[in-house]
Amino acid sequence: MTTPLSLSGLDLPRRNGELAFDAPWQGTVFALAAAVIEHAFGGDREPFRQQLIKAIAAEPDRPYWESWTAALEALVPALPERSTP
Amino acid sequence: MSNSRHHPAPMSPVEQRVAALEALLTERGLVPEGFIEQITRRYESEIGPMNGAKVVARAWADPEYKMRLLADGTAAIAELGFGGPEGDHMVVVENTAATHNVIVCTLCSCYPWPVLGLPPAWYKDPPYRARMVREPRALLAEMGCPLPEEAEIRVWDSSAEVRYLVLPQRPPAAEGMAEAELAALVTRDSMIGVARL
Repeated sequence: MTTPLSLSGLDLPRRNGELAFDAPWQGTVFALAAAVIEHAFGGDREPFRQQLIKAIAAEPDRPYWESWTAALEALVPALPERSTP
Repeated sequence: MSNSRHHPAPMSPVEQRVAALEALLTERGLVPEGFIEQITRRYESEIGPMNGAKVVARAWADPEYKMRLLADGTAAIAELGFGGPEGDHMVVVENTAATHNVIVCTLCSCYPWPVLGLPPAWYKDPPYRARMVREPRALLAEMGCPLPEEAEIRVWDSSAEVRYLVLPQRPPAAEGMAEAELAALVTRDSMIGVARL
């Protein structure tokens, strides 16, 4: 990458009028899922994805990040022992 | 926004559930100190459609890069420094006058995070996920992207294996522009395939 871009990296994610998260808890549940994927499943996203698919199928009209919350709750009993120190 | 994590207002039920998850997962040693702040800040400010715009601009400006991008999306995108979760198997599909590509995830919300950030609300909603497969032409028209009858529409369903990115057609007016100017023309929606430039 040699050409400096004139666009600020900070304003563009909002350029389409939407923030990544509408409320702090949404960012938290997103980060918690990332933590579980990274630290409990060694980077394998599939166990969480399967729970998310189930959570969305169970209540298709539920707000999106609430489905993430439900998916993460469903995943907790299946958590393997921590795979990285 | 960061202060509201300690907001004195009573927590809503979902906030309580998330707080319980945070406590449980932290106790199990899965959430390193500062991890939540680091991840949310990254997705709020560093990762977003400007990354994909840089990829598209490079492809428009450099025909050899475009060939590499269409042949191996993951590797060509990594050349610009973008990669990571949800970007392991990137396939870039090229719009032409005759072919229009659009991406969807019918089962959940798979989306190419490293180049587009997190998906917009409508991408995650049931109507988009169902209708883009069933009646893409009608839905695209409703979303402000009417296509000529003769244009073929290809709908790509993201999966655990593959994330798609649409390479929009370069607008005629972009002839001779520098890469940075080109990147400024590229919108998120054009890289999802629900808009043309």
